[in-house]
Amino acid sequence: MTSDDLVIVVVAGLVGTACGLLGPFLVLRRIALLSDAVSHAVLPGIVAVWLVWQTRAPLPVVVGAAAFAVLCVLGIDALRASGLVASDAAIALVFPALFSLGVLGVTRFADGIHLDLDSTIYGEIAFVPFDSVDLGGGVGVARAAVVLGVVVLLNLALITLLWKELKATTFDPAFGATVRLRPQLLSRLLLVAVAVTAVSAFEAVGAILVVTMLIVPAATAYLLTDRLVVMVALAVGVGWVGAVGGHALAVAYDSSIAGAMGLVCAACFVAALLGSPKHGLLTRRLRRAAAS
Amino acid sequence: MLGLPYTDAVVVVGALVLGVTSGVLGTFAVLRQRSLVGDAVAHSTLPGVCVAFLVAGVKDVPGLLVGAAVAGLVAALLMVGIERTGRIKPDTAIGVVLSGFFSLGVVLLTHIASTADADQAGLENYLFGQAAGLLESDVLVMAVLGGVALAVVAVLRRALTTTLFDPSYAGSLGLPVRALEVLMTGLLVVAVVIGVRVVGAILMVAMLVVPTVVARQLADRFTLVLPLAGVVGAVVGITGSFLATRAALPTGPVIVLVGFTLAVLAVLLAPGRGVLWRASRLGARRRRVRREQVLAHPDAPVRGIADRIARAGLRRRGLLDDTGLTPAGATAAAELADRRALWSAWLEHGALVDLPDAREPDPTDLRGSLGDDAVAQLRRLSTAGRP
Repeated sequence: MTSDDLVIVVVAGLVGTACGLLGPFLVLRRIALLSDAVSHAVLPGIVAVWLVWQTRAPLPVVVGAAAFAVLCVLGIDALRASGLVASDAAIALVFPALFSLGVLGVTRFADGIHLDLDSTIYGEIAFVPFDSVDLGGGVGVARAAVVLGVVVLLNLALITLLWKELKATTFDPAFGATVRLRPQLLSRLLLVAVAVTAVSAFEAVGAILVVTMLIVPAATAYLLTDRLVVMVALAVGVGWVGAVGGHALAVAYDSSIAGAMGLVCAACFVAALLGSPKHGLLTRRLRRAAAS
Repeated sequence: MLGLPYTDAVVVVGALVLGVTSGVLGTFAVLRQRSLVGDAVAHSTLPGVCVAFLVAGVKDVPGLLVGAAVAGLVAALLMVGIERTGRIKPDTAIGVVLSGFFSLGVVLLTHIASTADADQAGLENYLFGQAAGLLESDVLVMAVLGGVALAVVAVLRRALTTTLFDPSYAGSLGLPVRALEVLMTGLLVVAVVIGVRVVGAILMVAMLVVPTVVARQLADRFTLVLPLAGVVGAVVGITGSFLATRAALPTGPVIVLVGFTLAVLAVLLAPGRGVLWRASRLGARRRRVRREQVLAHPDAPVRGIADRIARAGLRRRGLLDDTGLTPAGATAAAELADRRALWSAWLEHGALVDLPDAREPDPTDLRGSLGDDAVAQLRRLSTAGRP
């Protein structure tokens, strides 16, 4: 394994960690698909930042994209609050519209520049090692690794500081409201964290891998445990398995790295769905056969 | 046709076919609150297209459509299957299948690209739609598929509706509920497969959802919502593709933005239930209550803007002047007091009133809603009740 490969695996693992810390809350709150919506809805933000400041520097891009992520979430919330549109239909209305705005912006104003659709949608994790920053001492570190490292620390701080509150409002929002935990505020805080995570990872590794890492490891972990803290740890673990295994797969078959990582995560999910000690399909069938 | 160049006319007709089909077929998914199944199916067609290309070796449209349809159907059935195991909730099941299939699609795409087949170029554009490259034969295939799907819906209308709204009742009628649900999913897949050619996978979900949301604001009966969704889909498709060809913009996004605008307008303005309509009704009611407050207590000190507006309204109607209530105002105030007395009499003695039929009394107009006879009875009851 070359040092470039190591950087790729570490960056993917950091994405897996950042997503694994938040994913379980999304899955348990049944808003897993909001991550998909957010990851598409940020496109006009990236385009707008390019149009106004002519830059793809991480900070303005994250700010612009996060602004549209928040717009997306608030728009969905407003439509749902009207009582005329179910929440899934509200999601399905808002994100394609924002994505369309982004696509129009790209084709109309940003055609031919570096901001082509392929690189904004797919991202390309293979290019991560070529973009490094000097952190002092003359040692170059991949910029994506630095950005994602900060995001991981922020997410870790969020869920450790607000662990009890998040846990209570996730499983029982009504109870959370009764003991004045502000479920609405916590939910928005979580969504902003998801938006920032998605946006910063999006830039490095592309949308598919972000959505995959937010949903699939958390769903896998949910099949394996009934305890939230174990679920978060397992989700992060599955993310790393996906990163390492996916990279190996991609090298062996010379295929898309992000796609292969997604496939390995999906394979983990299928294995858990079949073989989970408590909830697995096969184990349940075996247990029933043994009992009868 | 339509005064458009031939290629543009083909695009418009294609968008029309897509709009009608996805409008009608999307209704079943949206009303079951599974709007995003369409999104997952749309993403899941990518590996199907890749496999079909690998098998056939050429980019021939019917072959790719079959590949897309098979993959979409497999994905849809997997979603239902994962959900049925119990632990995983519907949204997570949709998310897992979506990311799994899409990852597979991307891996297959890179594989195809690395084989350096000259014919593969443009396969990846599939995701974003390629309306501009739409051929007359493509539109013909779409029209046939859509026509068959719509015919199935028309024939099985009753059974599908019953299964949609009350599966257990449908089962008790002896309808094959499982098969009908698979059929519904299959029809959704047909709509998606037609749509990804025109607007692309990511935007397809809007084409399924927009017509139903709009139609639902305009009609309450399912038998009306279904055809109305088809009409709305057609309008959105034609308008969007026409604007796109005129402005030389990509078709899919323009269609989606037209649809989104229409959906928001419907939610805001729908007669009787739109957000603005409700707000204006609420505002009118608030203003009336404030005016009645002033009528009941004309000498109370003026407080706040709302109070001033209420007083201005009464002045305009000639019920109030600088000295207090005008004669007309005094009459109105007396009528108001009488109405209120009648209403409290109704609340107290309403159960004893002998009515020819069960009618809902209107608090603001008891006489109008219950009739003079009931009012006379109420007056007797309330005076009898007094010491």
